[in-house]
This record gives sequence, C-alpha cells and structure tokens, in this order.
Amino acid sequence: MKITHLAAAVTAAIALAVTGCSPVAPADEPAQGDGPTTVTVRLWDQQVAAAYEKSFAEFERRNPDITVKLNVVPYSNYFTQLPLDVSSGTVDDVFWVNTTYFGAFADSGRLIDVGKELADLVPGFVPAAVEQYTRNSTLWGVPALTDGRIALYYNKAMVAEADVDPNNLTWHPTDPAADTFLPAARRLTKDSAGRTADQPDFDPKSIVQYGFNAGRDLQAIYYNFVGSNGGRFQDEDDAFVFANPQAEQAFTYLVGLINTAHVAPPAADTNSNGDFSRDQFIQGKMALFQSGTYNLKNIADGARFEWGIAPMIAGPVGRVSVVNSVIAAGHEASPRREAALRVLRWLGSQEGARFVGAEGAALPAVTAAQQAFYDYWHSRGVDTRFFGPEGGTLTIPAPSGPKYGAADAAMEPIFNEIFAGRIAVGPGLQEAQDAANAAVR
Amino acid sequence: MRGWRGRTATAYLLLAPSLFGVAVFLVLPILVVLWLALHRWDILTPSTFVGLANVVEVARDGRFLHSLVVTAVFVAFTIPAQTVLGLAAALLINRGLRGSAIYQVVLVLPWICAPLALGVVWRWILAPTDGALNTLLGTRIEWLADPALALPSVAAVSVWTQVGYVALFFVAGLRAIPPAVHEAAVLDGAGPWQRFWRITLPLLRPTTFFVLVTGVIASFQTFDAVYALTPKGGPQLSTDVVAGRIYYEAFESRAVGNAAVMALGLFVVLVVVTVVQQRWFARRTTYDLST
Repeated sequence: MKITHLAAAVTAAIALAVTGCSPVAPADEPAQGDGPTTVTVRLWDQQVAAAYEKSFAEFERRNPDITVKLNVVPYSNYFTQLPLDVSSGTVDDVFWVNTTYFGAFADSGRLIDVGKELADLVPGFVPAAVEQYTRNSTLWGVPALTDGRIALYYNKAMVAEADVDPNNLTWHPTDPAADTFLPAARRLTKDSAGRTADQPDFDPKSIVQYGFNAGRDLQAIYYNFVGSNGGRFQDEDDAFVFANPQAEQAFTYLVGLINTAHVAPPAADTNSNGDFSRDQFIQGKMALFQSGTYNLKNIADGARFEWGIAPMIAGPVGRVSVVNSVIAAGHEASPRREAALRVLRWLGSQEGARFVGAEGAALPAVTAAQQAFYDYWHSRGVDTRFFGPEGGTLTIPAPSGPKYGAADAAMEPIFNEIFAGRIAVGPGLQEAQDAANAAVR
Repeated sequence: MRGWRGRTATAYLLLAPSLFGVAVFLVLPILVVLWLALHRWDILTPSTFVGLANVVEVARDGRFLHSLVVTAVFVAFTIPAQTVLGLAAALLINRGLRGSAIYQVVLVLPWICAPLALGVVWRWILAPTDGALNTLLGTRIEWLADPALALPSVAAVSVWTQVGYVALFFVAGLRAIPPAVHEAAVLDGAGPWQRFWRITLPLLRPTTFFVLVTGVIASFQTFDAVYALTPKGGPQLSTDVVAGRIYYEAFESRAVGNAAVMALGLFVVLVVVTVVQQRWFARRTTYDLST
C-alpha cells in the first residue's frame, strides 16, 4: 500500500469521524465471475436517484450480466468525501462530478476519457455541457444533467398587485432611467404595516415580503449579474479576474439591493443558509426568485399559490446566464471499467437519459432526451421554455479549473463580508480575487 | 531463564490486542501526520517531499495564529463558565432535593447528544429572521452573523452542552468527601460559606483538576458544534477555531501538509497547557481524604 493511499485512508477516516458520515463501499466483487457484475454509481440528488432506479431497471433488463447499485451521498458531504475516495481507490465505478473538482480529477488521470471511448455519443450532448467538461481537448464524462439557463420564478398575485411585468425587467448600474428592475423590486417589498419600499415611511426592520433574492449565490445571482454587465469572472487560463469595473458595478448593485434598498433578505440570513430565499419564496414571503431548474421541483411541490416563470432579469448587455451542468464520470482505475463504460453509454443515450426528464427531476444533458422534461412540466401546467433558448442565448462561462474548490473556499468568507456590507465592494473583490488566485497556485 | 522468557512471551501475548489498538489507532496516525507535515499533498496528485516548507508557510500565513487566538478566547469563555455552572449544578443535585434525579438526567442530555445535531438545532434557534430566540425576544439580533456576537454565542452553546458532563464529576467528587469532615467543621462553628471555601473546594481539587484538564483539551479541539453553527470560520473568521482551520485546510483547500503542521502545532500547545495545569495542581492537590 502506497503511503499516500494510507494517508488518504487515514484522512478519510478523520473526515468521516468529524462529519459523522459513513460511505457505502463500492461493490467488492471481482471484475469477472459467475454472476452479474455490479457497477456502483454515486450521485447526490435523491430525485434523480429515483429516476435512475427506473432507468437502470431497464438497463439491467437489456444487460443481464450487469447490475447497477446507486450510492446517494448528501451534497453537503459529497465533495469532502469524493477526493479522498478517488485518492484511496475506493470510489464508485461511476460518479457525478461538477466543476469544483472535475479539473483536478481529469488532470490526475482518474477519469475515463469519454471523449475517446464514447466519441460517437458526444454530438448528442448539450454543447454547453461538452464545453464545460472538455479539458485538454477531450471530454471527461457523460453530461448527466444541465441546469439550463437561469430564469425568474414569480408570485403571480404579488406582481399583479404591484403592477409589475416580470417578463420585462432590466437592471442598470449607472442609469436610473434604464433601470426598471429596482423600482419594481421596491414596489414588491413590504413592511409589516403594508408599506412598500418605495414609500417614505417604509420600515426596513419589519419586512414581511421581499422583492428579490439578491445574495451570495454564484449560479443564480452574481455570475449572471457580472455577465449581464459585460464582466468576466475567470479568464481562459482559469485565473480569477473579477476585480474589474463591470463586476464591481454588478456587485455594488447587488449589495445595494440588500443593504440600501432593502428589497432582498439580509446577508446574515442568506450567507449561511443557501436555501433561505427559496424557502421565503415557497412560503409566499418573496415576490421574485431568480434560480434554475434545480429548484423547479421544490417550488412546484411546495408553493401553495399561483406562480410563473419569466426570463432572467436583463442587464446592460442583455440576459447573460451561466449554464451549469453535471457529468457522470467513470473511474479510470475501476476493476469493472468495461462494465462502467456500458453504464456510461446508457446514461449518455436518449433511452437512458429520458427517465431523468420524464420524472421532471432534472433537465437531461442529452439533447434528444430533453423533450421528456419539457413534456412532464407542460403536463403539470408549468411553462419551462425560459430555461432554454427562449430565455436568451448569451452565456458567461461556468466556474472552471483544477483547484476551483480551493479557490471557492478562499473567496467565500470575503464575499460573505461584501454582501453583509462590512467590506467595500472594490477592495473586497480585489482581496477575494487575490485569495482565489493564491489558492489555486 | 526459560520460565522468565515464557512468562514474558505470555505477557506480550496477553497485551497484544491492546498493543495492536495503540499501534494502529494511536501511533500510526501520529506517524502519518508527521509524514504529511513534511510533504506537499493535495489528496489527488502524488505527494512531494518539501522538508520544513509547510512549517514556514503556516508560520507566514497568519490564519493559524489567528485561529489559535480565537481558540484561546473560546477556551477563556467556556472553561470558567462551564466549571462554575457545573459546580453549582452539582451542589444543587447533591442536596438531594425532590426531583434531583430527573434534573440530573436532563442536565446530562445535551452532553449525550451529537454535537453536530445540536449545532443544527441551535442554528435554527439563533437564526436572525424567524429564529426562535429572536421571535421570543421580539427583536432581530444577528447572533451568529455579527462578528462581535458569533464567538460568545457559539461559546454559550458549548457551555450548555458541557455543564451536565462537568456536574456529573463534581457530584462524584462531592460524594467522596467524608461527611465527618463537614460535621467537625460545623462543630467548630464554621458557616456554610466557610465550609464551601475551606473544605469543599480544596477537597474537590482532584476533580477540578480532571475537569479542567479534560475541558481545556476538549475546548481546544472543539469542532462539531462550531462547524454546524458558523461554517467556514464564521463572520470575519471570528469563530475560526483551530480544529476547524485544520479541517478547512485539509479538506477544502486540500493543503494536507499545512493541515498536518497545524495539527502538530495544536498538539504542542495542548501538551504545554496540560503540563502547566498538572504542575499547578500537583502542589495544591491531595488525593487522600482519609486523614
């Protein structure tokens, strides 16, 4: 046993001990035997896992020599455990990865080269997902699902009462005449006496209804605001470059929504609870909630009021959305590599991927399978077209880089302070950028 | 000679299970941490030997020192409070009032529960909007988000969890004091306060020593509740305790070598603190209550 494997095992044990979790070990049967080969698949989403159960039942019917066992690990612990298991060689045969770690896994030779092994499937994947997970000119996993574009959930009664058209909202950092969003958000924010945030006696200490979900939310909020103002977050070499004037304007605008205009929840609530705004919206305490398909099922199941979906809020350069996807990656050193490849091929096929969409759990990243998702939500009376091209076509690249996780850990506490208003935006962004770049070196 | 060898072999055989446990679960992890401290390793790529470079890096980066200071303040908050409150609770329990057995169980419950789960519950209680405490007080205080309040709030939760544990030991200590000593003091005209200060407290020193040593070590190593209440070191790193810093360094920044150096640093600090405590109490403590 290599000492790094021993160290990984010890550190994994420490991580498990402190976080109180226990992994499901991958199947320990030999690669070849009399019975069917068991391939394990690790993911973090319970709703997709339910869809996968049905998908793999069909796969096993067609491939009686393979059984698939799911290993659902909670997201809160997923990316603490995954690198340790990859390093110690105890990871599942197939596992979900997002941009936080994919670069590091790819660079260290831990992933099956899907671009080479399943080259025939690649044209069928959503191009943004292929672009996001292509590194060193090859694709490192089968795009499992995509969040599509970011859109704007709205409470129909609230926007009607405030006479707000959620389909035509534009923010502008410097031109109040061009900014239709802030006045609308003010009319949608109410205190306990029923006064809206555009009235002189409005009490920001007794808000009972928020207008919008500004906060430290990478995917739903600040990446899109930076992109919609013509700013960038990372350059082509994955270096962080967000201390630029466009990004500073975007962050200043967002921080103003929270701490000056009081149309969004305080950072004290949202910094430590990423679901706070979603829960406020579902509870009927927030009028506009900008988010992605990943919250669609929660809202559809939880909201007890009429709601709709509009395109995301436009900025000076239009509606620029981050489009994030997730891949199912194969463990290069798996003793069941060939069986794992067959499972990956199934997940990348229209037949295999359609189960995810048909359950409405998530938007498949296999283009031909996406219609099942739209059909499911159409049957439930939900118009999901703004998560697709009708919501806009401009995009800002999703986070990338082999050590993005380390950079994020360095940036997050500083962003928390920026959104709390305890650090000025300009110096704060510079400090966060320096910390992020130092973390990836 | 053969008999002596045979007895030695038998002794080692009998000790083998314990020795195995000590070797695998104590010595081996320490050796791995020492090895890690001398290497640069990001968990995924092969490690490289860097000598003392990690030590230099940790010394230059102020975060470890900052976390040590935060931890020292945390210890200064929690240890006196939990010791005094634990002793007070033990004195009440020891009076044998009606229902004291139930009170004893209730007091110990927080210590039995998983700190992470308790942390999550307290996070709900202390939430700024819709939190139980603010709703009860009819105000909006950012208990865990205000850098000035976060550490005292976390320390208060920690004290709440530990008071029962401390009280249990003090109850045992109080019951070990021979009643004759108190009776003699009463005959000599000593009042309740005099008996407490001159008899009870001095005779509780062995218990106090144990409670302080284990309490200080546990507080220096505190992680779960702080992690649950204020993840990522809290606002402005105001609750960035050293065990948390080690965790974030190893599992978020994937700088395992630096984390190992920090773990060794914490080990040295704990040894020094424990030795100082031991020497201070050694001159002031008697374990013999028979005379």
